Amino acid sequence: MEKEKLVLEIPYGTRDFLFAEASCKRDIETKLAGTFRQWGYDEVVTPTIEYLDNLTLGSSRSLEPQLLKLFDQSNRTLALRHEMTTPIARLAASRLKDEPLPLKVSYISNVFRREQTQMGRQCEFYQAGVELMGSASAAADAEVIALAVTCLREAGLEDFTICLGQAEFVNGIMAQYNLSADTQAELQEALEQRNLVAIDALVDQLDLPNNSKEVLRQLPLLNGGEELLQRAYDMALSEQSRRALDNLSEIYRLLRSYGVAQYVRFDLGIIRDLSYYTGMIFEGYTAGLGFPLCGGGRYDHLLADFGNACPATGFALGIERVMLALQQKAARPLAARKDVYLGYAAGKASEAIAKAAELRQAGKVVEVALRPETQAEAKEVQKAKAYRELVYLA
Amino acid sequence: MQLADQDYLTVALPKGKLFGLSADLFAKIGYTAEGLSDKSRKLVISNDEKKIRFIVSKTADVPTYVEYGAADIGIIGKDVLVESQKDVYELLDLGFGKCHVMMAVPKAAKREKLADYAHTRVATKFPHIAAQFFSQYGMQMEYIKLNGSIELGPIVGLSESIVDIVETGTTLKENNLEEIAYIMDATARLIANRVSFKLKFDRINTMVQDLRQVLAAQAKA
Repeated sequence: MEKEKLVLEIPYGTRDFLFAEASCKRDIETKLAGTFRQWGYDEVVTPTIEYLDNLTLGSSRSLEPQLLKLFDQSNRTLALRHEMTTPIARLAASRLKDEPLPLKVSYISNVFRREQTQMGRQCEFYQAGVELMGSASAAADAEVIALAVTCLREAGLEDFTICLGQAEFVNGIMAQYNLSADTQAELQEALEQRNLVAIDALVDQLDLPNNSKEVLRQLPLLNGGEELLQRAYDMALSEQSRRALDNLSEIYRLLRSYGVAQYVRFDLGIIRDLSYYTGMIFEGYTAGLGFPLCGGGRYDHLLADFGNACPATGFALGIERVMLALQQKAARPLAARKDVYLGYAAGKASEAIAKAAELRQAGKVVEVALRPETQAEAKEVQKAKAYRELVYLA
Repeated sequence: MQLADQDYLTVALPKGKLFGLSADLFAKIGYTAEGLSDKSRKLVISNDEKKIRFIVSKTADVPTYVEYGAADIGIIGKDVLVESQKDVYELLDLGFGKCHVMMAVPKAAKREKLADYAHTRVATKFPHIAAQFFSQYGMQMEYIKLNGSIELGPIVGLSESIVDIVETGTTLKENNLEEIAYIMDATARLIANRVSFKLKFDRINTMVQDLRQVLAAQAKA
């Protein structure tokens, strides 16, 4: 009988991180964890699996097909977390309920979504981020954006742009024209699908004066520097939209104090799930990477769905995406640092151990041979394992 | 040459019937490049003065190049775009390449109602569009993906019907097929990568406005 062949595949949308990648990932995570701590954000670790009902609480039903599900021993449906904001909202409404506000929480963890996978988009991927709960102020939003910029810089990126928008601006524009609920939903859908042709077609059919139609058509095209706010202010007639713009200029003023305003551009047509976000929204992009590095915004309703009404803002950053951007910047594959291969002749083992300790003390990455070798043998190993330098004790 | 050079705007154009019209349209707003042709053996054709570069690809691949950001913008038929299910900006309806997606069956074997075709086989280049359409009517179908000459399906007994694009209807007639259900209209669209649209906003937006003007002038003429 033929021996059954081993199945050495891994499930769809997952991946192994080998040495260089794993080391790069660890470096980034270490830097981010340090930055989160320095800014006063405490880390939480939550279970990988949650009850499905908890994860879908408050979000649209469209989320459900994306979740990876299983059943527990009493046949309740479980799901792998698809992001960290909802588990943290659950925590904030339960065990963290009596903590003094504002509550500042950070995480670095894997999350899971059913996706058509492609480079930078897997079913299992890693996110780092923060949630700032208990403050509705522009100061909280500015802090979160400034922290996102700091994180990207700490990770080694310089060439990126943060696009900043405001969900209430779009909502206010739609409200001011008394659009029916159906039309609003259609318009939102077209915006979320980034379908400007559908927006044009939809707007053409509306019974509105021409200049109002033009405002709606312009929505996805409101992209620019600080001067854009004034332009938008002249377009926006409703109190709601103008408040949204005031909020953005206040945030921007603070971002200047943080010294990060040069990374920020306004994009009032920025499109993230509009039913979820209630205030500022942002995404970070870098040239050459076809999808955002990070994203976030204010979501004041989510915690209410958990019975703990409380304003909140935050962001998440895709660790693999940062890795891709770093790799692209370096224009070569990432490599783990390997400094010294330490070989030795017979009888020099303890000397070698002492030497390795000394080199490691000095911060070097050192591998010691496990048996005596000739210098030529040691040289071979050093080359094969890509150590920069050979130290040989004869 | 580094393709990811950020000073350049990279445009993906589809080979075939949309190519000539697309190239003409870009030429009208002042963007062209020497030797730009879908017969060219060169895959990347640049205009260093205008900082623009064209890549000529297989039709179905255009949305992929754009979604990944390998091309900043592209021109593609709405039918191929919907079928590809890619996350890109759809910026402009260019109006040309007009056709529609429909379901057709052999005249001789026509059934009374659409629902009578439930659980039969459909030959198509557009399984996603077809599935979306039939699911509206609660119909499950067996989709047979073909890459060309879809009309052959019913003739050789591979399928009971086809879902395909039609321009004039001549091919249908020649093969004794009859359109029994309209699915969607399609014309050429200008699409953009979601990050390029943000990072190269001013250039892309200017281009969109210029194209709009050309299209409006053409519509009047």
